[in-house]
Amino acid sequence: MSAQTQTKTRTGHLGAGTWWQGRSGLVVPLIMGAFSTYLLVGILTMEVAEDADKPGPQFFPMLIMLVGYALTILLTIAYIRNPEPVDADAELPAEIEEDKAFSTPVTSAVAASRLSPHEEDEPAEDRRALAEARVADSKHRTHSDFVSLAWGAGGFAAFALILEFAGWIIAAALLFWCVARSMGSKKPLFDLTLALTFSSLVYIAFAVLLGLNLPSGILGGGF
Amino acid sequence: MDALQSLFEGFAHALTPMNLLWVLVGCFLGTAVGVLPGLGSSMAVALLLPMTFALDPTGAFIMFAGVYFGGLFGDSTMAILMNTPGQASAIASTFEGHKMAKDGRAPQALATAAIGAFIGGFISCFLVVFVAPALADLSTSFGPAEFFALALFAFVATSSVVADSVLKGLMALVLGIGFSVIGIDSVSGTERFTFGVPELFDGVSLVTVTVGILALGEVFFIASRIRRQAKDNTVNSSGRPFLSRREVGEALPAWLRGTAIGLPFGVIPVGGADVPTFMAYGLERKLDSRRKEPQFGKGAIRGLAAPEAAGSATTGIAMGALLALGLPISATAAIMLAAFRQYGIQPGPLLFDRSPELVWGLLASFFVAMVVLLIINLPFAPLWAKLLRIPDPYLYGGIAVFCGLGIYATSASTFELLVLLGIAVISFVLKRYGVPLAPLMIGMVLGPLAESNLRDALLAAGGDASVLVSSPITIVLYIILIGALVYTGVGRVLARKRQRQVQRAAAPAESPIS
Repeated sequence: MSAQTQTKTRTGHLGAGTWWQGRSGLVVPLIMGAFSTYLLVGILTMEVAEDADKPGPQFFPMLIMLVGYALTILLTIAYIRNPEPVDADAELPAEIEEDKAFSTPVTSAVAASRLSPHEEDEPAEDRRALAEARVADSKHRTHSDFVSLAWGAGGFAAFALILEFAGWIIAAALLFWCVARSMGSKKPLFDLTLALTFSSLVYIAFAVLLGLNLPSGILGGGF
Repeated sequence: MDALQSLFEGFAHALTPMNLLWVLVGCFLGTAVGVLPGLGSSMAVALLLPMTFALDPTGAFIMFAGVYFGGLFGDSTMAILMNTPGQASAIASTFEGHKMAKDGRAPQALATAAIGAFIGGFISCFLVVFVAPALADLSTSFGPAEFFALALFAFVATSSVVADSVLKGLMALVLGIGFSVIGIDSVSGTERFTFGVPELFDGVSLVTVTVGILALGEVFFIASRIRRQAKDNTVNSSGRPFLSRREVGEALPAWLRGTAIGLPFGVIPVGGADVPTFMAYGLERKLDSRRKEPQFGKGAIRGLAAPEAAGSATTGIAMGALLALGLPISATAAIMLAAFRQYGIQPGPLLFDRSPELVWGLLASFFVAMVVLLIINLPFAPLWAKLLRIPDPYLYGGIAVFCGLGIYATSASTFELLVLLGIAVISFVLKRYGVPLAPLMIGMVLGPLAESNLRDALLAAGGDASVLVSSPITIVLYIILIGALVYTGVGRVLARKRQRQVQRAAAPAESPIS
């Protein structure tokens, strides 16, 4: 299986072979640095009353900011020294990655046994499908599907902005439709009817029956 | 027998037809969300939070108890049938549980898990009834320095001891604490980091952060991967959903051992039930290897029973700790705390005096929830798996709509929705790069507690920092903390060394390719 060995590192990938490969994680210290700077600006511009008790309101944020900057530097160094490329072969299924994101214990010997419980249990055909998906995956230009992401995030932004004008039913249906599309649904018209039905049902259940305050917008004639 | 009497009064309170209905609805919805792939019990609580605002406090919390425990049951159902744990605490159940299911023993596996969770939860709730008032009494002897030590302990434990990467754990923590300082300072009344935006005066709401991180961020994360991932297939799960006497005999000691392991973790702030579940699994594995016919690896019933009981026991005690100390142990407990605050109730020592009917009603409803869950899970567990038939696009579309609904219902502002979007995008980035999100939640929740107590302690001592380590309780806490850090530090170094050796051994074989 020579095809498999070739997919060890991803090739057709944005930034492949350059210094940036595996270092896109630098965006993480960037977030940390940006947030620390936000705190710094806030501390400098804060208007504190003369007679405020010491330690004052800047004291605790100052500690956070200093630790934040220290972490920014350490994380940057860590990413520069140890890049984390997504190897097509080594990639874990998304479910496991997500479990990792929710703090995994390294305290006991069990840590060893929890490595990828999925893979070897699967029947042969499933394993083949997984391998094929990975090979296909390694051909994408980015690890994450940013088109899908844009549909999801854009849909939510649109929902937030038009909600009070267009009303819950239309805005929520739009959100539903966009997210369904971002998840790869290929039936726009059917989705639209489903979305409108769903948002109307939610409106009836929550605004009419439970009395939550949802805007009726232009449908309610409330100009 | 004071506690027992109060508990009976609590039952009288919880067993009204209306409250029973809320428990039922809560259990049902919690299980439904927990069963959905990728969504765990904390997300169940976060998503269903706004729904409870239409109820009175007692009804709302009773429903919460149902949602919370229901989510846990749903998590393990999925872990067993699909090998997709919704939350880290259900991972340990997948090892043997999924093997049992593949062996055609899925209903028995589900029953083992449900009974295990029931036993663990029941024993822990029973303990809470007696321990919580004592804990509340104890915590009255806690001053600012002690509370700060406790918060610091929780911070370090969640971000460093149980996280894979210390740096990433700390980063999430600092971000969380940082979010919590935005808004008007509670001590001096100073505006902080609002830059004149009136919507920020009250700070970033914990509910917004929770929904952004656990729900909407999750939707984005799944959207970014969904077209690039192969599908898994389900295990057939029909058959006899009860255990034979021999199976019960086999599982019973494991249930009890798991419960015993899980109980103490309910008050140790290390971020929830994942550590005890793994410890329980590890213990059963070790015990099993000494038997004549080791069962592990072939779908051992004990390997499933122990972690389920442990997880449930931790959850129950954690609830007690939340009520008595006001100290959230896990992200889910943190959301519950946020819910309490929405109703203007501050959990902690005073809660038992101020609103006894709420506390005891809630504790009583834990028991009711356990029984209800056992009833709806034992016979119907396979039916839950049918929920997975909802096509992904509509499932996540619906979840996104519920995120919007929840936040708009609690805040009625477009600004809050945009904050939610921003947090969801940040949480997607953090997830993509493997930053743990539990420390962020803990930081956000305990940040204000840490800050006000630190400042109070320093203020009372005239700025003298030695006040922080002046009492026996603080000294003990710091010693345990340092001990844990050293222990995990050494463990990490050893693990890395071992890993390097393995890599070196494997390296010659791979070197020709590159």
